[in-house]
Amino acid sequence: MGDRKKSLLRIGATALLSLGVVLSGCSSGGNNTKAANTGNSTAKNASSEEVNAANPLEISVFLGEAGQQPTADNKIYKKIKDELGVTFKFEFLAGDKNQKLGVMIAGGDYPDLISADTKLTAAGAVIPLEDLIEEHAPNLKKHYEKYWNQMKDPNDGHIYYLPNYGAYNGEVSDTYYSGPAFWIQKAVLKEFNYPTPKTLDEYFDLIAKYKEKYPTIDGKPTIGFEILNYDWKNWGLLNAPQHLIGHPNDGGVVVNDGKGEIFADKDHAKKYYQKLNEINAQGLLDKEAFTQNYDQYMAKLSSGAVLGMFDQHWNFGSAEDSLKTQEKLERTYVGFPLVYDSSTKDYYRDRPSLNLNNGFGITVNAKNPEKIIKALDKLITEDWQKLMTWGVEGEDYMVNDAGRFIRTEEQRDNTTDATWKLANKADAFYATAPKLEGYFSDGNATAASNQPEEYQASLKPFDKEVLTAYGFNSYVDFFSAPPENPIYYPAWSVDLVEGSPAKIASTKLNETSTKYLPKAILANPSEFDSVWSEYTSAIQKLDIKSYEDRINEVLKWRIDNWSVK
Amino acid sequence: MMMKNTQMSGPKNAVMLSRRRPGSSGVEPFLFNTFNTLFMIFLVIVTLYPFLNTIVVSFNAGNDTIRGGIYLWPRQFTMQNYNAVFASGTIYNAFLISVARTVLSTLLNIFLTTMLAYTLSRREYVFRKPITTIFVLTMYFNAGLIPNYFLMKDLHLINNFLVYVLPSMISAFNLIVIRTYIGTIPESLVESSRIDGAGDFKIFWRIIFPLCKPVLATIALFVAVGAWNSWFDAFLYTSSRQELSTLQYELMKLLSSSVNANSNPSVANGVGAEHATQVTPISIRAAVTVVASVPILMVYPFMQKYFVVGLNVGSVKE
Amino acid sequence: MEEIATVAKPVNPKKQRNNKRLTWAIIKDQRQLIYMSVPLLAYIIVFAYLPVWGWTMAFQDYKPARSFSQQDWVGFKHFQFLFTDDNFLRVLRNTLAMSVINLILGFTTAIVLALLLNEIKKMFWKRTVQTISYLPHFLSWIIVTGIVATSLASDGIINDLLMKLHLIDQPIMWLSEGKYFWGVVGASHVWKEVGWNTIIYLAAMASIDPALYEAADIDGANRYQKMWNVTLPGIKATIVILLIMSIGHILEAGFEVQYLLGNGLVVDWSETIDIFVLKYGIAQGNYSLATAGGIFKSVVSITMLLFANWTAKRLGEERLL
Repeated sequence: MGDRKKSLLRIGATALLSLGVVLSGCSSGGNNTKAANTGNSTAKNASSEEVNAANPLEISVFLGEAGQQPTADNKIYKKIKDELGVTFKFEFLAGDKNQKLGVMIAGGDYPDLISADTKLTAAGAVIPLEDLIEEHAPNLKKHYEKYWNQMKDPNDGHIYYLPNYGAYNGEVSDTYYSGPAFWIQKAVLKEFNYPTPKTLDEYFDLIAKYKEKYPTIDGKPTIGFEILNYDWKNWGLLNAPQHLIGHPNDGGVVVNDGKGEIFADKDHAKKYYQKLNEINAQGLLDKEAFTQNYDQYMAKLSSGAVLGMFDQHWNFGSAEDSLKTQEKLERTYVGFPLVYDSSTKDYYRDRPSLNLNNGFGITVNAKNPEKIIKALDKLITEDWQKLMTWGVEGEDYMVNDAGRFIRTEEQRDNTTDATWKLANKADAFYATAPKLEGYFSDGNATAASNQPEEYQASLKPFDKEVLTAYGFNSYVDFFSAPPENPIYYPAWSVDLVEGSPAKIASTKLNETSTKYLPKAILANPSEFDSVWSEYTSAIQKLDIKSYEDRINEVLKWRIDNWSVK
Repeated sequence: MMMKNTQMSGPKNAVMLSRRRPGSSGVEPFLFNTFNTLFMIFLVIVTLYPFLNTIVVSFNAGNDTIRGGIYLWPRQFTMQNYNAVFASGTIYNAFLISVARTVLSTLLNIFLTTMLAYTLSRREYVFRKPITTIFVLTMYFNAGLIPNYFLMKDLHLINNFLVYVLPSMISAFNLIVIRTYIGTIPESLVESSRIDGAGDFKIFWRIIFPLCKPVLATIALFVAVGAWNSWFDAFLYTSSRQELSTLQYELMKLLSSSVNANSNPSVANGVGAEHATQVTPISIRAAVTVVASVPILMVYPFMQKYFVVGLNVGSVKE
Repeated sequence: MEEIATVAKPVNPKKQRNNKRLTWAIIKDQRQLIYMSVPLLAYIIVFAYLPVWGWTMAFQDYKPARSFSQQDWVGFKHFQFLFTDDNFLRVLRNTLAMSVINLILGFTTAIVLALLLNEIKKMFWKRTVQTISYLPHFLSWIIVTGIVATSLASDGIINDLLMKLHLIDQPIMWLSEGKYFWGVVGASHVWKEVGWNTIIYLAAMASIDPALYEAADIDGANRYQKMWNVTLPGIKATIVILLIMSIGHILEAGFEVQYLLGNGLVVDWSETIDIFVLKYGIAQGNYSLATAGGIFKSVVSITMLLFANWTAKRLGEERLL
């Protein structure tokens, strides 16, 4: 009895104690983020420390994307540890990033390195990097030289993140087009002797003719045109109009002379949706286009029964892979940059732009920012980059007499094997790290997929036949070569600031389009106009001005500050 | 313990059943039983199918599954999906952590919740009503993500195994269910022990606890399944310590990384994914589901024993 | 004193309730009950009630990086955003509709299934059915909705079946018509959870005194009469209590199913409060709005709960509180 009393007392005391702790916690929580600008002052103290095997350094890394822990004996990380003394301790995200960052910021519990997020910048969680780079990181400095101004934060002019993509070395000749287009099955092209549709009408004519001739494909009813509009994958429905008038992908706006304007309710958008309404009446549009989920969309594409769709190439890559393994190469797709008027020059393909608000930042909790930046600086040198992309020479790739990097079939297969990659690639780090893109100084491509020999090896005879018919080297050639990007490009990378009227307006605009456009497209053609005017009046009720103002504010800032040099 | 129970329950049940339904002859019971059997067969088919289909998909090649049309037999059998699940090696440790938290949570919940439920079932207890109310209300509000995080931080539970167990030692729902159940136990049993001089704890432990077996089996199942399936605590509170990660969270990471790999423009465009991966999110999701749920599915058949034992009050008197 | 001493021995529970007065004698007498419950009370206060200071967030423009004293107070701004949005009433209607449908379907199907399972004589068959019927509970909504969407597709099994039975001659577009949406969600819930929901009733049935069935047999009761007069009353307390608790969850229609099955064509029927709050709260980094939504739901929940409890009391049924 007495014992129990004592233990109860103890429980009570603990409870009271924790109560006190919690109450004090309310007021002190979130104080740890002040030190945002102290990164520089400590710079001098530890600069004698070098990054090498004798000076072990553990860097904790939070990756804002899902991923898997590499195996303990991963050969690339082992090399990094053996030669630079650096070990990475990764934390991967699964679940909602907003929630995770919310508690991380509130608690001030940051790792050393973190993948970029505007929330972190706003919270003062990351330190400015420009001085660190100038002093300690000559390779990074050189890598980002051309892009220095673009990397600056529009709010205070500091550089907080090292963009992971878009800093190119030399002119890039892509062999794979991953962007948006109106796609059409190669079988349709072959059937009509490889025509080149330029306008919507020509495109849908081909589809209509083919569907009439082949009402079923492999026993399944032929689907003329497919639209995916599921969750955040809504560009299949929303993005086409801007391209049809010859503009590049700026997201929800069309930019003319540095000024952005939404296009969702404009006449050139109406023209597109009216056409879709028309083809729906003709029975060319999939009845389930607007109710299907992504899996169903992919199933239809990989069944080979879908003749065409508007989509980004990367979004249906796995459907094409499935078609390839089924040996239905003629059911894979070619993208065409359609325009309303064949005199308009197409602008689907664009030049790579810097991947802003992406890549690593160093947090205020990092004890040794200099060593971290030095480590990153070492890792962007060519030797390390080759290890990360191609792998270990002799094991993962060969060098032929001409100094070209080549791979055997087995080596190629390895890189598609998730299990193998966990032990032999440093993808977790590499995906977010600064990287060389384009060509190494010896002329080899930085990525195997861009090595022309690799691309040629991946082409099947049927592809060669198609390309020969058009007189092209690769499927990228179907698109006009992109001009130099406008300085502000692309508008879609403008940070609308979460919770701001601009962001809310943009969310609501998406919502409105998702709701009304399917209605308009599926409507009886005689009712299209009335649904359309319902739609535009719903848009007029939104705070579109805030949205456009925010975009234009940032575009202007970019024009003022990004002008090279 | 379990063995003994089975042996005992067998004959007793047989007796009970035969007593319950004497001479089921005539057309009416036949019609009823036929209908009932047909209905159950329908139910079994309808509820077994999704799980069976998931298992089949988990053994089918990912880029074949994507075509659809996989129902009850794999079209292209493969172990790839499972290889991918077990590739990183972190899930063995995560499995142990999950087992540990599940067992610990279940034991603590059962004991503490039943103890509290007993006190709240005592009509004479002065604090009965306020304590009941305070617990019941917890079902209907949540302080929110960030305040809860601060609490865990202040209690030094961040990156601590105990964060899996401590915050959820008592669930109000279970508490009420057990209290309601205790309410159906004849008061005479408590009374007679009290006359024998037993205190409340003794009555709880010796009389009530054993009598609660059917409901405790249910609650144990609820708690175990809840603890096993939860991932949010690992996500919020322990994600920076790999060695504390749970099976569900590891599997979630795996799943989202496969979704990512298939939907990330930079990956599709550039490095790392030169060719297609042969596993797809659909197939990984299926394998993950099987790996995550099969261990916990094993629990139920054991619990079922307790449902049919029957609380034969007459036989409890010893 | 004499009277108080007998309190512990509940001869007449009805009478005592009125006599409950807090005196040292009672505390001493009930000390074991107190030891067994009060520490757990302290526990729940720390873990569930203390963090409620966070509700102040709903009245701030909460920024996680700032400390409490640095936050901007904005009064009812976030509640205003919530209640004045054009969609709010529609979203509220959808939430209530789907949650009421789930409540009614969930309760009736689980109870009926429990009764039917209870009538199965072969133990092995009974256990098999039980075990299988609870399997879908372990599948995530994304898998279940995937199967639902496939089954409801124009060439899916449901349309196939209806066509073969000549009930329809055109496939029904289940997921593009708002009028079907609530039903589809309700049916999906039943499918996924009916077996799981049954478990608790089966446990309750296990506590029914077999003597009652014997007595009913002697009275010549048939199977239905026994179900109605013995089994159902035997689990009534459980049913009533679960019902009261569920009524408190009247605004919990969830978001996953609706999110996964919904689309632009049915958004007027599919969007729930949770989706709305998710979209404009957490997804926008607006923890304040999320908190305001939570407070609104809690207030409604607790009101409904008290109302349900009061009704049960009026009807002389088992009560929660």
